[in-house]
Amino acid sequence: MSKNDKVLIKGNYAIAQAAVNAGCECYFGYPITPQTEIGEYLSGKMQELKRGYVCAESELAAINMVIGAVSTGAKAMTSSSSCAVALMQEALSYAASDELPVVLVNVMRAGPGLGYIYPAQGDYNQSVYGGGNGDYKIVVLAPSTVQECIDLTYRAFYLAHKYRNPVILLADGLLGQMMEPACFGEYPYPEIDNSSWELSGAKNRNSRAIYSCAKDEQKQIEHINHLFEKFELISKNETSWEEFETEDADIILTAFGSMTRNIKAAMKVLREKGLRVGCLRPITLSPFPHQRINQLAKSGKDFVVVEMNMGQMFKDVRYAVNGESKTELINRPVGEWLKVEEIVSAVEKIMEKNYAASV
Amino acid sequence: MEKNFILAGFGGQGILLAGTILANAFMLDDKNVTWYPCYGAEMRGGTVNCEVVVSDTEVSSVHKKDCDYALVLNQQSFDRFVEHVKIGGTIVANSTLVSETKPRNDINYVFAPMGKLANDLGTSKVTNVVSLGVLSSVVDTISISALKLAIEKVLGEKKKDLLPLNIKALLSGAELIAKV
Repeated sequence: MSKNDKVLIKGNYAIAQAAVNAGCECYFGYPITPQTEIGEYLSGKMQELKRGYVCAESELAAINMVIGAVSTGAKAMTSSSSCAVALMQEALSYAASDELPVVLVNVMRAGPGLGYIYPAQGDYNQSVYGGGNGDYKIVVLAPSTVQECIDLTYRAFYLAHKYRNPVILLADGLLGQMMEPACFGEYPYPEIDNSSWELSGAKNRNSRAIYSCAKDEQKQIEHINHLFEKFELISKNETSWEEFETEDADIILTAFGSMTRNIKAAMKVLREKGLRVGCLRPITLSPFPHQRINQLAKSGKDFVVVEMNMGQMFKDVRYAVNGESKTELINRPVGEWLKVEEIVSAVEKIMEKNYAASV
Repeated sequence: MEKNFILAGFGGQGILLAGTILANAFMLDDKNVTWYPCYGAEMRGGTVNCEVVVSDTEVSSVHKKDCDYALVLNQQSFDRFVEHVKIGGTIVANSTLVSETKPRNDINYVFAPMGKLANDLGTSKVTNVVSLGVLSSVVDTISISALKLAIEKVLGEKKKDLLPLNIKALLSGAELIAKV
């Protein structure tokens, strides 16, 4: 099989193999539905390749093992799902502060609490705003197809090392469990040199330390400012999104992750009915495409956010729109994805309400 | 053009595998395709289903409201999914385990004794592959040649010895309706 051949593959396996291709040297994890296939696949593959694999005793241990591994400059990752990613938040705050290239895959299931194994999108806030303490930023990537599970896993490793910042790949149970034809290709990014900071043994150089404690107040202020300046740079260079038929649109549907597929299908139906509807879908949830959304809002386009939670991304869209146009929410908390027909009729109702005079 | 299939039966009938073979066949025919399983705690004994969506362009959503084709291997699945077939759509049922009733008059019904045929071939384990053969004779866009390649691909080197039986099951399934 050549690297450019299409294979029919499950999202979870695609993420796992992409991590292998990206050069992930160590995987640490603890099983949880709906992402267990990632650990299952890597348990064999990593052994075969003589790389590191540990089925940790808990998620807390797993993410801290990743911190240990990436401190040495290695590429390492963990994967988990919602309620177990909650256990990793303290470590993410540490990793962000310590500027460590941690890669975390969250295949979302339902919450809050233990929730259940059906898919959901309730971890937008957990990922984008974080559950750890203090001021820090995580880079968050949201795939919408199995192909993107591969492409964005590659990108997650690259960005984590390029900026020395934790990156979350935010997938969901739908993507983790579905199979689609996809192509792996080669890992498309250059290798990053970690030699200036990695803990690789202090022979022939001064000793180094990575720690997250500044007793000197001024130093801590400078450190946080540095983290946020770095994130500004990430925002400038790496913010990405996709747009479909936004140019002449009155209303722009917005969704993230696999819900993107449903809004694109709804857009086609609404277009056939003669309604000028477009789509915008952030690929990076953090940094979020605030500027572009604001620009479109300023040109008079309204936004309708469609998501499987109680309106988490909705707040970011509303913040980006900043009162320039109307924002509406179509949502359901967990479970079966909003169907195309439901989105279509909800949008029609919104249009009736907002444009009664003009339609 | 997008079409979706629901495949359903009880755990152990090889429903997810049948869906995987079907999805592989569409991929080998250069179509875009998505396979999505129910992934609850229904591994054995309970009902299990998966959805296969095929499209000439990008596949849109899964978990659709209704389906163009339902392939059901037991009564429980028939009762559940007959309500989710699009008007004008088709339900293809294993009449060995499904009674030949027609609760709606706005869809098409195909009843075929898939389980019996599989038993005649030597094992009920190939009911799923027989059912794919039947499905291919009902749906123009499913090619037997692609299904053959897909079965070969899914069985792989390890289970190559099972290939002749499965190909026979597929071809017998494809001829089943003409005989009924």
